[in-house]
Amino acid sequence: MNGMKTNQVIEVALKAGEILLTGGAEIYRVEDTVTRICKCYNVEAECFVLPTGIFITVIDNDGNPVSIVRRIRKRTVNLEQVEKINSFSRSLQGSPLSYREAMMKLNNIIGLKGYSYALKFFVAGINPFAYALLYRGTAGEACVSFLIGIVIYAIKEKITRTGVFEFFEYFISGLTAGFLSILTIKLFPFMDLYRIIIASIIILLPGLAITNAMKDALYGDIVSSMFRITEAFFVAAAVGVGVAIALSVGLRWI
Amino acid sequence: MEIVLAFIGSICPGIIYNVEKRNLIWVGFCGMLGWITYRTFNEVTKSLVLASFLGAVVVGIYSESVARLLKAPATIFSVPGIIPLVPGIAAYNTIQHIAENELYEAASKGIETMSGAGAIAFGILLASAVFRLFKKLKKRKPNPN
Repeated sequence: MNGMKTNQVIEVALKAGEILLTGGAEIYRVEDTVTRICKCYNVEAECFVLPTGIFITVIDNDGNPVSIVRRIRKRTVNLEQVEKINSFSRSLQGSPLSYREAMMKLNNIIGLKGYSYALKFFVAGINPFAYALLYRGTAGEACVSFLIGIVIYAIKEKITRTGVFEFFEYFISGLTAGFLSILTIKLFPFMDLYRIIIASIIILLPGLAITNAMKDALYGDIVSSMFRITEAFFVAAAVGVGVAIALSVGLRWI
Repeated sequence: MEIVLAFIGSICPGIIYNVEKRNLIWVGFCGMLGWITYRTFNEVTKSLVLASFLGAVVVGIYSESVARLLKAPATIFSVPGIIPLVPGIAAYNTIQHIAENELYEAASKGIETMSGAGAIAFGILLASAVFRLFKKLKKRKPNPN
């Protein structure tokens, strides 16, 4: 052992696990990483992870059990951090870092901003643009979807940062997409409503939740799997209800 | 043309989900292969569910193998990769029928949507299950005792 105390080991492992879970990793990956990091420092750990929390128990040098529970409230998607932690735990296997170095590395990973907002806004527009064309839409429809995509992304980011009820942002995004699309076809009646709406809401669909639900089920984490499936269902329902309200109001009274 | 669009259509979610720059191109190919499979089988069999399933299997196999090669988690390829396969049109039709109060049509479209989504999910599941099986077999081999 290279001078790292047991509680420091837990701290490092817990932090890594927390980043993984909030970044959208599967449950088995989080559990595996935490036990692996502990093992690198010769600490036997038992780890139990739910989508809403991490539980770690280890036996310290005096034989006393040490246990930490960390509640996870915020779940986003940040695949870059997942990958960085993955290679971090890989690198620990060869040469265990000191506490200070390990914490510094983890804090660096937390600090990663990813792509700039300008680029993301642009991409949030390009994505519906591509899908409108993929569904055999016209160039005009694609351009409209581009604008709607940017508006939706802006609204969604704004709501996420204010931090209200989790599924609310999806509802509002769906509602906005619906109303803007109806507005468009009232202005340009030759355009197709459905392509514009689908293209602009496709980014909101819960791809990560479904993928993770299946992987969790595969590794026997049925609780988390149910959680993810329900999450996917709620998100899809929230978007759907938003669009449905916009459609039924918009098509009848506007 | 569609192939290029599918490529772009999975790189964009990749950027939104913060996939690293050097992996982005592989994410793009993932979506592209999935879409090619989906389109081909959709033309041949006219079945949305079967085509989505096979598309997802391809996405799953591709992302697990690339993940092994690049030493990165498979999720970062499969999550953006399945986005082009999502049954968007069926989902939209369901919502539209509900909004117009045509519940029978809504139910039939809704089942189509659910089966499409389920097919994608089980495609991914199957691919990773097979890879996991291989991994276990490989681990067993070096020490036959």
